[in-house]
Amino acid sequence: MIKTLSISNSKLWRNRLKFDFWSLLIVLLLMCFLPLLDLSDYTLGILIVAMYLAIVAMSWNLLAGYCGQFSMAPAAFAMIGGYIVGLSDFHAQLSLWISVPLAIVGTAILGALLGLTVTRLKGPYLSLTTLSFAEISRVIISNSHEYTRGDQGLNVPSMMNDRLSYYYFFIVLVLLTGVFIYWLMRSKLGGFLLAIRDDQEGAESKGIDIVFYKLVAFTISCSLCGFAGAMYGSFSQLVSPEMGLLQQTGLVISMVVIGGIGSLTGPVIGAILVYLGSEWLREIGNIQMIVFAFVVIIFARFFRTGIWGFCLGLKQRLLQNHHE
Amino acid sequence: MRILQLIKLNLSVVVLGLFTLEAFAAEPILIGLSITRSPPGSVIQGTQIKDAMEIYADMINAKGGLLGRPIKLVIEDNQGLPEKGRSAVEKLITRDKVVAVTGAHQSSVCLSEIEVAHRYQTPYVNTNCWADSVRIKGYPEVINTSPYNFIVADSMAETLKAMKVKRVVAFAENTDYGIGLAKGVGEALKRKGSTIDYKFETLDRSSKDFTPAILALKSNPPDVVVLTMLPPAAYIALNQLYEQGVAPSPKTLVYDGAGMADYPDFWQNVKDAGKYMMTIGMYHPDMKMNDLSKQIAVEYKKRTKNDPNRLIYQAVDSLLVITEAIRQAGTTDSAKILDVMRKSKFEGARGLMTFDTFPGVSYQQWAAIPYVNYQLTDVNQAVGKTTLLQGPGMPLNTSKITMPK
Amino acid sequence: MLFLDLTVNGLIMGLFYALMAVGLSMIFGVLRIINFAHGEFFMIGAYTYALIATSFGINPWFTLPLAALGGAILGLVVERLLIRPLYDGYRSWSFVKDEYAVVVTFALSLLLIHLVDKVIGPSPFMGPSLFSMQRISIGPIMLNGQKLISSGVSIFLLISLAIFIKKSLWGKQIQAVAQNRFGAALAGIDPVKTTALIFAIAGGLAALSGALLSPIVNPSPDIGSFPAIKSYVIVVLGGLGSIWGSMFAALILGVLESYFAVYVSYDYRDAFGLLILICVLIFRPNGLAGMKGREI
Repeated sequence: MIKTLSISNSKLWRNRLKFDFWSLLIVLLLMCFLPLLDLSDYTLGILIVAMYLAIVAMSWNLLAGYCGQFSMAPAAFAMIGGYIVGLSDFHAQLSLWISVPLAIVGTAILGALLGLTVTRLKGPYLSLTTLSFAEISRVIISNSHEYTRGDQGLNVPSMMNDRLSYYYFFIVLVLLTGVFIYWLMRSKLGGFLLAIRDDQEGAESKGIDIVFYKLVAFTISCSLCGFAGAMYGSFSQLVSPEMGLLQQTGLVISMVVIGGIGSLTGPVIGAILVYLGSEWLREIGNIQMIVFAFVVIIFARFFRTGIWGFCLGLKQRLLQNHHE
Repeated sequence: MRILQLIKLNLSVVVLGLFTLEAFAAEPILIGLSITRSPPGSVIQGTQIKDAMEIYADMINAKGGLLGRPIKLVIEDNQGLPEKGRSAVEKLITRDKVVAVTGAHQSSVCLSEIEVAHRYQTPYVNTNCWADSVRIKGYPEVINTSPYNFIVADSMAETLKAMKVKRVVAFAENTDYGIGLAKGVGEALKRKGSTIDYKFETLDRSSKDFTPAILALKSNPPDVVVLTMLPPAAYIALNQLYEQGVAPSPKTLVYDGAGMADYPDFWQNVKDAGKYMMTIGMYHPDMKMNDLSKQIAVEYKKRTKNDPNRLIYQAVDSLLVITEAIRQAGTTDSAKILDVMRKSKFEGARGLMTFDTFPGVSYQQWAAIPYVNYQLTDVNQAVGKTTLLQGPGMPLNTSKITMPK
Repeated sequence: MLFLDLTVNGLIMGLFYALMAVGLSMIFGVLRIINFAHGEFFMIGAYTYALIATSFGINPWFTLPLAALGGAILGLVVERLLIRPLYDGYRSWSFVKDEYAVVVTFALSLLLIHLVDKVIGPSPFMGPSLFSMQRISIGPIMLNGQKLISSGVSIFLLISLAIFIKKSLWGKQIQAVAQNRFGAALAGIDPVKTTALIFAIAGGLAALSGALLSPIVNPSPDIGSFPAIKSYVIVVLGGLGSIWGSMFAALILGVLESYFAVYVSYDYRDAFGLLILICVLIFRPNGLAGMKGREI
């Protein structure tokens, strides 16, 4: 019975990763066919937001699932990325071709700076420091009325004309993120990250510069979140401080836990299901948040490896039955 | 084999979720409400608006509905967040196919919602968003039955000037409404040629302790402390002003610019601190009540056991504008309804509404919205017993102001 | 005398923060996890206190212990249902422990907020005061009776806690489990019961903080988040796991915040505390008091 998705650059891990990646491709392929069901703009919009959250979830998983650093700042970096684009448009009327790369670079720099502080810290200190950073950035953005228009938010120009184009665009974005992370984890860097996650002292003793690699992972994760935020901003044409609420980070973390931490497909499945779920629960009325929170607790308590892990287990069992 | 398993699992779960999201429009005329029903927004405002609109909708349906069809309110929860407001209005328009959207009561949410209404060219009737920026945007789909910062600021400045005070400090919440109104009061004072020393301080509405800012006033208290904050932060500010002895005091009074004195939970939250508070109000029992407002008052009291306040009438009026426009236009077509809204007069619960199309802060706004200024003189005082400083359409009489001993 | 006023006000707020923070610190000291639902213990305390006092007309002084009891019971339930699986048995949870705790306590916090919102209602209310709200002058400082009395109660509680941990048998067991869970078990101490006790104490203290503050901050279902964030800052500043550290950090934070709010800028006041946190961690990664000797 699988417990966690284990370490080492062994063949087992590589095969698992490959299987993971192919599943991701299949999920995305399925999503390409969904519009054939004649979905309304509203439903497409929901799926697009789910995909934005999926990208953030994948970046958080890179940091937490593959590297063991539980940052509480993914939503904050997404917000910062979105605001860089928004501010560029509001103050300087820069086109998206300039402001989006600016967002990626900007969040990478901020991420690196924060990372310098944080990668030297252990365990919960990292969570709390990233939490503080997240709250500070949100409060600053929310209160600097002269520059950011406070809680009114900033308008962001849009890239495409219709909802459907945005939908396929986001599928491509999720795909690219998946490919990028897959490539990263297959490389030597990936192996180091996993080693650090599972046994920091051991990794250090083998000569791996843990601070450097943790910093690299942290920076990459932050700038991916920033990128996602910028794209989301372009889609919804509005960025507001609520993007960076701790509640949002909690949502992202829940998605990864429910979907399956330490995998490629897990965060994506988690994002889609959780977000669709929370919208669907709206129908039930006011108790949507109660039900949602409850479901998350049950999952975290009883399905530790998430849906993805569960599916993997099914597959193992099927294989065994097949061979008998 | 295993891939197939995966595909089935993925597909079935996702499709199941999707199908339950799609719905079919029904026979009744659907009107969309985007209000706050869960934190962090102001749930109490959302509930008042919902209750009031339901009463009015029931009244219409009892008389046979609209164009032979019943009206049905489709209610979405925006949680007081601009992003949720955006998706709520999108759902109402694209999925539920509502004829118009109304109910907005928080300016920042309003601003993101009107974008959606504008994109789909759906009529959007602003119930209670005061911020000037909603009007300045100039979207033709947005009709404002709500009070607006410009006129509130103007009246407050007029009052301050008439009181002949020298120093005023305002506490504004860090939102478009709070800062907009506080700034507006300052600008109005300048416009009227007043020499009052006026400044405002921005406070975070999610903070729970404003004592430091209040302590800073203690050594040299101003003559009036203006509040442009909404509950619950406003209640806390009021309590802490009282606790520190800054206001109300023989020298200093509180002047509220949010009209919270008639909120159902006002007195239970402020108790002694609310005595002597001056406030601008959008409603007072001394205002002329027409048959409609009398009916609403009775029904509201029956259903919720609370006395009606201005938010109730604002809500009814926004729904009324929509239903009357549909009735007059004879159709549910957006462009025609909007045309009627702009050109016609509407006899609402608060008076005769017309919407002027001059661009700027009163674009498509009911410019002559009635207001009063009054002062609370006792704890747990009902609005009807307060001292009217400026009755509806009457001049301001500042001699009636009482100060604490 | 603005400076004096601010200092006193800051110290008073710091006392209330301390009640929250010490509980959080103890939980961390023993379990190495952060409880993201701590703010909700505060909220439940405020609600229990206000509801019982107003519905049954009981004197607020008698309702205070009831509020503490409510918080303690909640703490026990949370520990039993959600936290115990982390440590019961031999299965290794180390990989997923941290984010499990984060997810579960965060979801719990959402659940509690919305449950209270649905069942009791979203409007804020004002808790009954222990003492009349009349203003009392002490020298140049004006305080209200409620704040004065509540501060007194808080000081009493904090000192009692410190004595309890240091001297009593249970206190020593807590210290042992914090230092080395397995070793303590070998010595015959039941780590599970001790953990449960800690949750009960933490819950009770946070609930009391909520009850005492309820006449001052007008609680509503989401009132828990502001003291919670302050507690996180305090607990890291004071050194995770150190009670004395947390107490002093709480007082310092309360005072510094007051100064910052007036002398620098009101808008960014909440950001200020968090900024201090980051600065301190850059220079002293283990907080001010640190985890020297891993003592509580």
